[in-house]
Amino acid sequence: MIQYIVRRLLVAIPMLLGAMSIVFFAMRVLPSDPCVAMMGGDATAAALADCSKNLGLDRPLAAQYVNYLWRSVRFDFGTSFRQGYPVGEYIARMFPHTFVLVMASAVVAALVGIPIGIISALKRRNPLIDYPLRIFALLGLSMPVFWLGILLLIVFSLRFDLFPLIGGGDLEGVISMIRSGEMFSYPRDFLKAVGDVLYHLTLPALALGFTLAATVSRLSRSAMLEVVSQDYIRTARAKGNIERIVIYKHALRNMMVPLLTIVGVFIAIALTGTVLTETVFTRPGLGKMLVDAIGARDYPLAQGAVTVFTMIIIVVNLVVDMLYAVVDPRITYR
Amino acid sequence: MPRHTRPISSTLVALACLLATLVWNAAPGAAPAEAQRKILNIAAKEPDTLDPHSSTLGQSQAIARFMFRGLTRFAIKDGKVTTAETEPDLAESWTLSPDGTVWTFKLRKGVQFHKGYGEMTAEDVKFSLERQINKTPGTRYGVNLEIIKSIEVVDPHTIQIALKSFDPIFLLRMVGYQNGYIVSKKAAEKPDQFKWNPIGTGPFYFDRHVPREKIVLKAFDKFAGGRPQIDEVHWYDVPEDATKLIGLEKGTFDLLYPEVVTADFAEQIKKMGYLIDRRGPGSQERFYINMTKPPFDDIRVRRAFMHAIDRKAIKETLYPGDLARLATSCVSPGYFGHIPMQFPEYNPEMAKKLLAEAGHPNGFTIKNYFISKSFFYPKVLTLAQEQLKKVGINVELQIVEHATFHENIRKNLNPFVLYGGTRITDADPWLSLFFESTEIPDPATGNKGTNFAHYKSMDDLLQAGRVERDVKKRAAIYAEAQKRLERDLVCLPLEDVPGQWARNQKRVSTPFSPDYGEYSLHYSYNYPELLKIVN
Repeated sequence: MIQYIVRRLLVAIPMLLGAMSIVFFAMRVLPSDPCVAMMGGDATAAALADCSKNLGLDRPLAAQYVNYLWRSVRFDFGTSFRQGYPVGEYIARMFPHTFVLVMASAVVAALVGIPIGIISALKRRNPLIDYPLRIFALLGLSMPVFWLGILLLIVFSLRFDLFPLIGGGDLEGVISMIRSGEMFSYPRDFLKAVGDVLYHLTLPALALGFTLAATVSRLSRSAMLEVVSQDYIRTARAKGNIERIVIYKHALRNMMVPLLTIVGVFIAIALTGTVLTETVFTRPGLGKMLVDAIGARDYPLAQGAVTVFTMIIIVVNLVVDMLYAVVDPRITYR
Repeated sequence: MPRHTRPISSTLVALACLLATLVWNAAPGAAPAEAQRKILNIAAKEPDTLDPHSSTLGQSQAIARFMFRGLTRFAIKDGKVTTAETEPDLAESWTLSPDGTVWTFKLRKGVQFHKGYGEMTAEDVKFSLERQINKTPGTRYGVNLEIIKSIEVVDPHTIQIALKSFDPIFLLRMVGYQNGYIVSKKAAEKPDQFKWNPIGTGPFYFDRHVPREKIVLKAFDKFAGGRPQIDEVHWYDVPEDATKLIGLEKGTFDLLYPEVVTADFAEQIKKMGYLIDRRGPGSQERFYINMTKPPFDDIRVRRAFMHAIDRKAIKETLYPGDLARLATSCVSPGYFGHIPMQFPEYNPEMAKKLLAEAGHPNGFTIKNYFISKSFFYPKVLTLAQEQLKKVGINVELQIVEHATFHENIRKNLNPFVLYGGTRITDADPWLSLFFESTEIPDPATGNKGTNFAHYKSMDDLLQAGRVERDVKKRAAIYAEAQKRLERDLVCLPLEDVPGQWARNQKRVSTPFSPDYGEYSLHYSYNYPELLKIVN
């Protein structure tokens, strides 16, 4: 297993380099440049030239590329052209918000989508149950996340004043307390901070999770249909087990591998969905930061964000592969 | 229930209860001390810097006004703020030498910088101007101060600024706006820190920045004009206008700086019972026609173009009612030197006739016309495209990123250019930027100017206007300049869109009328210290 992990990590390095190179050159192939983006139409030629020099953009492209790779190896992604903050610091601040949003919406998508998919598969011969469930799941697929998000804000934040309109909560406080160990010394304050994060997370997670639940439910339905058609399910029934045991003990367990795949795919899809969610709910996060950085031609920030996204996908896929071996003892890695 | 299902469902229920408890307990109530403080909540976008000399973004310039001041300020006359006149601010008086080239400013005594950075002196004024003239990395407005030859500190409260020649708008350049802001020399000598730790003399000082969330400003007790009534300003980064509207209705926000004020947005504000503060002169959207690029090198084609464009229809479609005013001149009202101009009336038949006379009886096609996907550009161009099509001028649009659009129009790729903006409120900088021959963009030389019309027939008037000391004569020079534009048909203004912020007037008051009670540039509140929380 260790050898397998090491091999996978080694393979991940060229993948990461490839992604970083693509974003480096793609940003520079785009028309216009960061100085025009920052200074706007009024900038004189001299001012634009000064700006390019200050940002190091007047150097040959190859020199910029080598410098970029060398710094990235040392985890130095430079400073944001636009705001001047160190990119690493910026990403470290934004990443936890995106992470908790993606995880929370994964939970929502799983809690909504997987049961719907399973029940829909098991009751596929009963249209009175199957059709409404599938329609309900498809609603999530049809509703754009920004539309659903605004609807949730109007109903639950504005009309009923149950949830906040903006912000990500005191996530920095939570992280700080975990790092310093104060979560044990001041459990009440810690729980309050956690509660604040969840308070701010509820509506965004519902919006993003629900819109993705349809995809999860369709994949779960397919997975369950495949499993229940297997011989061992027929055998389990033939042995006289009640249906609940057949499903929970036999079918679900064997569904874990495709379910893990679903989760892995979901993380990747959810990352793209965070852009609109973060915009509508005015949450800090990497998604919107990346889009803004590309639009502003903020090369270091965009490159740093894409690098982080790529690393997330690589790690998630690796973890999912590891978990295959955990949930299915027949799978081994060498 | 089978035993093995009990732990799963019980666990899920317990977890749900725990989460609900955590979330419920997190719902905040205002702490007593918090409830006493007067906090102004503004929903805008995040500035890219708080250095007032650095950014051209609207939100950066809007927030700068809360923290900085200049030697002069826009005058308050008859209860209104006008951009056509100035009055003293950090300078209490000034004199001008007989030859009009040396200004001597007497600074107010006892004006304090934020956070204990001491009293403002002439050294700070000299530094603030020179850092821009010397093009300190990151500063943007040095070009506006190129008229300055030298700056001399006479004593701690007297400064002499010598100009290369008489500058009729020098006092406007010294207004607390862009290049006119005075910063603390001690603080700004470290520009990387200053960007996010600005020190000025304005009514509010910078407290903290939570990236992509908010900036907090606090009332400056030692502000020269008296401590503001508002204790804190929370400037939130809210990119989505729909969220801003919900926040205004909910009471989360008191002021909104919308991305775009559409008819729907204005209607929503009206339904809530709130209002929109409209500030002139605003931004003008207009077409520049490149008179050197065929077929627009023929004046008949330019006239046909103008006859084909229905300005009223474009204005009413995009900015119905009070959201904008039909432009009356290529120099907007509110700018010194403005006179109403005459433009060819909307008349598609006349346009077709003129095109036929010019050798285009079937019209012509413009391929690869680049237009920005941002702001008003795509909407205006789509409407114009339809109108031009009716007379036979087919424009094939290529919608590109805003930055790309700016790059391409400076390569002269478009035969006519849609452009918008606001400038310092005088005809000279306005006309110079767009009609002086030195500003003709030329990819061969790397000139990225903004004279998109490639106009060369105004240089003499601009030079004369810059040295004319008589106000009436100066106005006549710019009137003549606008007449020439009328004659040569290179500029077609569409509408003047005011600066617009939404305000909950039941919570926040301002002494100026919401309907053009203030003229301002890139910010709607010249005097944020006069804003008051009333509820």
